[in-house]
Amino acid sequence: MRIAVTGATGYIGTYFASLALKRGHDVTSVSRGKPPSHASAWIPFDLCSEKPVELPADVRVIVHLAANTADDNDLGEAREVIAAQALIKAAQNVGAKFIFVSSQTARADAPTAYGRIKWRIEREVLSAGGWVVRPGQVYGGELRGLFGVLAKIVRHLPLLPAFAPAPKVQPIHVDDLAEGLLRIVERNDVPPGVYCLAAPEPVSFARFLGEMAHSRLRCWRGFVPVPVVAINALRFVLGESMRTRLGVERLRSLFDLPAMDTASDLEQLGLVLRPLRSGMHPSGSNRRRVLLREGRTLFTYVLKEQPDNIALRRYIHAVEQLRGGQPLGLPQFFLGNPICLSLLNEAAWASKAMATEFAWRLDAATLLVEASPSGACHFLAVNRAHGMGSRLLSMMGALVCEVTWLVARVFLFPVIRFALRHERVDS
Amino acid sequence: MIADFDIIIVGSGPAGVSAAFPLVEAGLRVLMVDGGRRPAIQSPEMDFLSARANDTEQWKWMVGKDFHALKFGDAVSPKLRVPTHGYAFDGFAEFNNIEGKNFTTVGSLATGGLSNVWGCGVARFSAAELAAFPFPASELEFSYASVSKRMGISGKADDDLSGYFGLDEYSQPPIPMDTLHMCLSSRYLSQRKKLNAQGFRLGRSRVAVLSEDASDRQACNFSGNCLWGCKRRSLYSAAYDLPELRRHKNFSEFSGFVVDRLTRYGSNWAIEGKDASCQGRQSITASKIVLAAGTLATTRIALKALNYRSSVPVLSSPTAAFLLWLPRLLGAKRMPGFGLGQLSFTLTLRNNITAFGSTFATTGIPLSEFALHVPLSRRYGLTLMRDLLSSCVVGNCFLPGHLTAANARLRGGESLIVSGKYNDEVTPLMDEAARELRKSFWRLGALMLPRSFTVGHPGGDIHYAGTLPMRKSPVVGETSWLGELKGLEGVFVVDGACLPTLPEKSHTLTIMANADRIGRQLSHYIQP
Repeated sequence: MRIAVTGATGYIGTYFASLALKRGHDVTSVSRGKPPSHASAWIPFDLCSEKPVELPADVRVIVHLAANTADDNDLGEAREVIAAQALIKAAQNVGAKFIFVSSQTARADAPTAYGRIKWRIEREVLSAGGWVVRPGQVYGGELRGLFGVLAKIVRHLPLLPAFAPAPKVQPIHVDDLAEGLLRIVERNDVPPGVYCLAAPEPVSFARFLGEMAHSRLRCWRGFVPVPVVAINALRFVLGESMRTRLGVERLRSLFDLPAMDTASDLEQLGLVLRPLRSGMHPSGSNRRRVLLREGRTLFTYVLKEQPDNIALRRYIHAVEQLRGGQPLGLPQFFLGNPICLSLLNEAAWASKAMATEFAWRLDAATLLVEASPSGACHFLAVNRAHGMGSRLLSMMGALVCEVTWLVARVFLFPVIRFALRHERVDS
Repeated sequence: MIADFDIIIVGSGPAGVSAAFPLVEAGLRVLMVDGGRRPAIQSPEMDFLSARANDTEQWKWMVGKDFHALKFGDAVSPKLRVPTHGYAFDGFAEFNNIEGKNFTTVGSLATGGLSNVWGCGVARFSAAELAAFPFPASELEFSYASVSKRMGISGKADDDLSGYFGLDEYSQPPIPMDTLHMCLSSRYLSQRKKLNAQGFRLGRSRVAVLSEDASDRQACNFSGNCLWGCKRRSLYSAAYDLPELRRHKNFSEFSGFVVDRLTRYGSNWAIEGKDASCQGRQSITASKIVLAAGTLATTRIALKALNYRSSVPVLSSPTAAFLLWLPRLLGAKRMPGFGLGQLSFTLTLRNNITAFGSTFATTGIPLSEFALHVPLSRRYGLTLMRDLLSSCVVGNCFLPGHLTAANARLRGGESLIVSGKYNDEVTPLMDEAARELRKSFWRLGALMLPRSFTVGHPGGDIHYAGTLPMRKSPVVGETSWLGELKGLEGVFVVDGACLPTLPEKSHTLTIMANADRIGRQLSHYIQP
């Protein structure tokens, strides 16, 4: 179907438009300038202009993402609302669905103009029977939007503030948000209203920044506690314009971010959000990295030496092609100590299905390890001392080890069982 | 109406080519159709041990680019996991609409059929075993000879199984044995009397593998690639017979055509089906049809044409496998060598039932195949098997096919459902076989590893036969002495489906000889 998108060149817009195209939709960009690529058509539109917008008759949905995010809101609060009204009108003229992407800060008495404008537009959209989406803290993908700004800060500051009391954010990966939006676009069973899309469990802002430093920017950052009272005090010292320029107002909007109840909305859309650590990974998912570690663990266990990465890549491909590609979730302890896989037996796993899956992966790893020159060397005992004595010794050694681990398995069984059922790697 | 051909042969496997030769040589216009699958993955270039030690891309033929070996992890035999063989099994069940219920159903759409992947075991049926065939045993004599010579058989030896195999007059010398088998064999000679008294006899395996070069195929050079694909073409495949057939102008081939239905047109028959590229249905006519699609596929075509809704019996040999360890040779160096049967044995069990089996080197088989079954944690199981396997041989064991109570039936007139289980006799027989083999091999200095004697799944032998048996006076669902289906005049069954009995020994050569016999007979009846 044809989807008109304002702000299609922005942070969220880019991901939404490319996902929509991938699903076979036509995307019409409604923007100030001609978009560089992806959109198949372009309609000029400016948030500052009061000119009426005319949409092609075959537009079925309009997704309104455009917003002025600059701190000094020159447009004046009314301008954006008027522009939105023009868009709603245009949508009504062609009978298109109207979806407005708002903000978690949207409130009548929001500390920032941004939040207040979003609130006012929301009212307009809802009274026109449209859909409002309030995303949480959007992150992932290219370093753009607020995510880009935060990344810049994290990269440049060796120490980061850990505000106290800790403000909480509810992250959502930009790809997950694009998916959520597209589901509202595509589905007919989603009634109009406000949809809050973000992680149901808030995380502290410091954890969010720390995860960004660790998984995305691959750097270590220390945190210094900063009392929120101090920021509030600063607010009184600084003048209005300084406050805005230094971003103090934006910080305040972070401090009184209302917690959103997102679980029911996510469920309504059937949307499962990726965990923060996974999404913070530059590829948008650390699934492969976890699979790689899992493969390395299994290979090292079987081969008794570090495997080469090419063979490990085959393991990842095999699991992706034949087993759905999700990691097993081996506890950290085993990833660091492959030899301890000898402690695992069928009964230790949480379910029969998990035990079977582990057995399959161990078998797969065994065959993949074998099918390499180093595997041949190890398994066929080529280039190894032969002769009855050395073989006998080696076999005895293997049996002694087996018995030792068997004893360890018996004694450690409750611990292992607990670990396998409770400690899961964030995957 | 004039038919497109005198004869259409459905299938290019051992039965199809064997029936084709006499018909083509008699000048008849013969069309051979088959599923047309061809090898897609290169077999190893070097000998197995060098390839394993040096080929960084060995995973492509050991596991497969599409992870074939992992995909078929549950398959009954290591052979079914070998990526280079994938083409031979690929698509058979779907295209032919055959489904096994507690029964392994394997077949082939490949040019050359299952002979691309067979174990090359050959044997002649004895007069007693041929007693149920509705023609004098002597009629097969000539065909056994002609087929054996064409294939190239080795294993000629004056040993205790010469009479059992009955092939020495057409055979090349045996392929030299490896150290382990030589050890077993020499111990046998000194223990022979005692073992024979216990009903155990040992001899060289007779196999359709060249020990001497032929015109277009080379003798075995111990590359050890038997399981993975022999570049020298030492192992017989029916596909190697096709160039010879193609030399005849009256021989045509339609490769990539899966027959689905037979329709009668006046005095002629038409085969109908889809070509492999699914371009639509085709229909080709001939005055006679020869079915050689492999027992299960042939059975389905025949039952469909007969509109036969009752079940027909399926003969299938119960199997087992075991691992023998020769402690004296512990620590032996891995040597390249022949990977198929080197020694064979027969064992007389209760009720005069005979078990037959062969022993193989373990070198060409992935260690993973063994380690997966060791009741140790993987790491130490692998070490143990690595140290042990160079002094081990694997053995298999077959019982006569009538001990499997299986049958095949058309469901909804379309799909062939094969179901069955072993007879109650099989468990005690297998127990007895395990016990006796353990004793006999112990006398030969080999220890049958505890818990290694594993009885296979029904149908896992892939020796299917006897669904449409030849009878003197056949009823519907049976065939005449010429393999002609009762009720479908002009349709002949020449593959395993028409064998009235399935003994424990390898049955391929007999299928081929019988197909050759039927081909010869038919060439007298049909005017070109």
